[in-house]
Amino acid sequence: MFSSLSRPPRATAAWRISTWTTLAFAFGTALAFCIVYFLVAKGIRERSDTWLKGEVEVLAEVSASAPRDSLYDRIVGEVAELASQEVGAGRNSQGKRLNSLFFLQVNSNGQAPLWVGPGAEDSFLTALRQTHLDPGVPEWISVKGWAPAFRVVVLRRGHGGTIYLGLSDLSALRLLHRLVYRFVWIWVGMVAFGFFISYLSARRMLRRVEAIAETVARIGSDDLGSRVPEGPISDEISRLSQTFNRMLDRVQASVNQLRAVTGAVAHDLKTPVTSIRGRLELALSDGENGRWREPVAESIEDLDKLAQLLNTTLDLAEAEAGALQLDREPVDLSDVVSQLANLYLPAMNDRHHELSVALEPRLVVQGDLSLINRTVANLLDNEIAHLPQGCRIEIRLCRQGEATELVIQDNGPGFPPELISHAFERFVKGKHSSGHGLGLAFVDAVVQAHGGAVAIGDRPGGGALIRLSLPVTTLQTT
Amino acid sequence: MRLLVVEDDIPIQEFLKKSLSEAGYLVDAAGDAKTGEALALEGVHDAFIIDLGLPDSDGLDLIARCRAQGSTAPVLILSARRSVDERVRGLEQGGDDYLTKPFALAELLARLRNVLRRVAPPQYESTQLKSADLNLDLLRREARRGEEVLQLTPQEFSLLEYLCRNAGRVVTRTMILDHVWRMRIDPATNVVDVHIYRLRSKVDREGLRPLIHTIRGVGYVLKPV
Repeated sequence: MFSSLSRPPRATAAWRISTWTTLAFAFGTALAFCIVYFLVAKGIRERSDTWLKGEVEVLAEVSASAPRDSLYDRIVGEVAELASQEVGAGRNSQGKRLNSLFFLQVNSNGQAPLWVGPGAEDSFLTALRQTHLDPGVPEWISVKGWAPAFRVVVLRRGHGGTIYLGLSDLSALRLLHRLVYRFVWIWVGMVAFGFFISYLSARRMLRRVEAIAETVARIGSDDLGSRVPEGPISDEISRLSQTFNRMLDRVQASVNQLRAVTGAVAHDLKTPVTSIRGRLELALSDGENGRWREPVAESIEDLDKLAQLLNTTLDLAEAEAGALQLDREPVDLSDVVSQLANLYLPAMNDRHHELSVALEPRLVVQGDLSLINRTVANLLDNEIAHLPQGCRIEIRLCRQGEATELVIQDNGPGFPPELISHAFERFVKGKHSSGHGLGLAFVDAVVQAHGGAVAIGDRPGGGALIRLSLPVTTLQTT
Repeated sequence: MRLLVVEDDIPIQEFLKKSLSEAGYLVDAAGDAKTGEALALEGVHDAFIIDLGLPDSDGLDLIARCRAQGSTAPVLILSARRSVDERVRGLEQGGDDYLTKPFALAELLARLRNVLRRVAPPQYESTQLKSADLNLDLLRREARRGEEVLQLTPQEFSLLEYLCRNAGRVVTRTMILDHVWRMRIDPATNVVDVHIYRLRSKVDREGLRPLIHTIRGVGYVLKPV
């Protein structure tokens, strides 16, 4: 159940951890890039703004100092043309200029006597008229038919009218585009690689955790000797293993102590019982004791009950501490129940009970045959001991999903209501019960040691109902 | 047949000696592992009965040492503990059977016969069992009392067969459950007795000499007295 192979990778913690770290990584790198992009774009714009402002001053100077004659247009036009060649450093592979520059001088009467720039001035004039520009502050103006937008700076001269200088810096834009394009590719690669690496390392780490979980799950009361591998590196997971191992040491010590105690109690109590029983039996076999036969036989029977009580008490003590040793093997529960039903049937018929048995065949559990036998026998003993004559007893065994469910119900008086909530506690028994009150506690302890559950309750329509479920073993279909 | 009993509790040792002698065995006894080992290595015993809780060493070690020194006599282990683990280790160390205390004498004798028989298995297994005028045909699973065929269920036949195989010897309820139902349980109710009553009502009809007898405090016996 712990094997990573049996689960899809998306259900693993390694997957979740690497997904989240990758998301955080992707977000962080994208954010860092945005900042860098913003700063680069700003730097480029500031550089071109500085150039624009300087150049417009130069042009204004030239236009102010140049005589207003027929050569004026040519002089200013030359200077503007030179400026446009200066910024035209960005050329593409065909040698074509990427950047566009325009220079426009507008008279105080609104006419445009001087225009240096690509294409006709009309569309530029329209765009400029629609925008309010503060002198000396570069602004973005988009002109119809031109991309990217022009960065335009304006300078007003008292009598010389207004001078506009605009630059559409396509090479800077291409640079920024290239930056984004390359970043996206590198980013995708980095994120994928990062996810791969973090998934692998998380899976390696968590495999160790899984190994710990597997070992701990395997270490039941049957096998307290195994330990979790601690690994050569001293990291958090190694410390987890160490902590588990220290805990297991303590559990093992207390279980061993308990076993030593129950062993000692068993020895100390059973030795005298054995010798008393032996001597009574010898006395019984001695033919000349007519008067004493009966009391001696009764004493032997009482000693047997005492030994049984002792065994059950010690088993129960061990089971409740999780120290009961299970001799696990595949047990065909259908077989067990059917044999026990056969064994108990005459005794039930003797009390005029009617027994009906419905068993699903071949229900196999992994368990201790002898303990399971005793458990079911215990429940059937209870039925015989507590029912008034002439009842109907029903035994049903069937598979319920991953569990085998044994239901024993009758139409007798049912459990006393004050008993139902704590029927599985030791020495709890009905007022008229002649038992020792360990039966159901024992049943509960054994079933729990097998990873199952027992519940008691009222049968619909009156009577008692006991429901016992044990995890079923997956059968190899043969 | 000569047996060696190694048991430190003197009352138990005494009653074992006495009852085994009464059952026809010659018995030597030792109260600790050292004496037990010395006696065992004489090589004159047909079987050992060894208690696991000895004062000077563990009974399992004693068995292992005897086996290591070439002793092949079967060993019946006695123990007050009842853990699965110990039973398994006992049988692994060279024990042949295991009996928990307290035990019924009848069961001790049955197990003893069993381990002795393993050493010298019977030459042939009869398909007929006979006791007084009771005849069991094991192949046809048929029982006759005199000329009359008894109408028995398969379970009743198995029970009668077990009693017949042990004719003259007492069998306990635990032994019956172990051999006929193959279960080691200790029912709190009289389930086994009811089976015996039913069987008896078919085998010992009125007017016939009773064969199945109850021995109070011990169990049942089939004998023609």
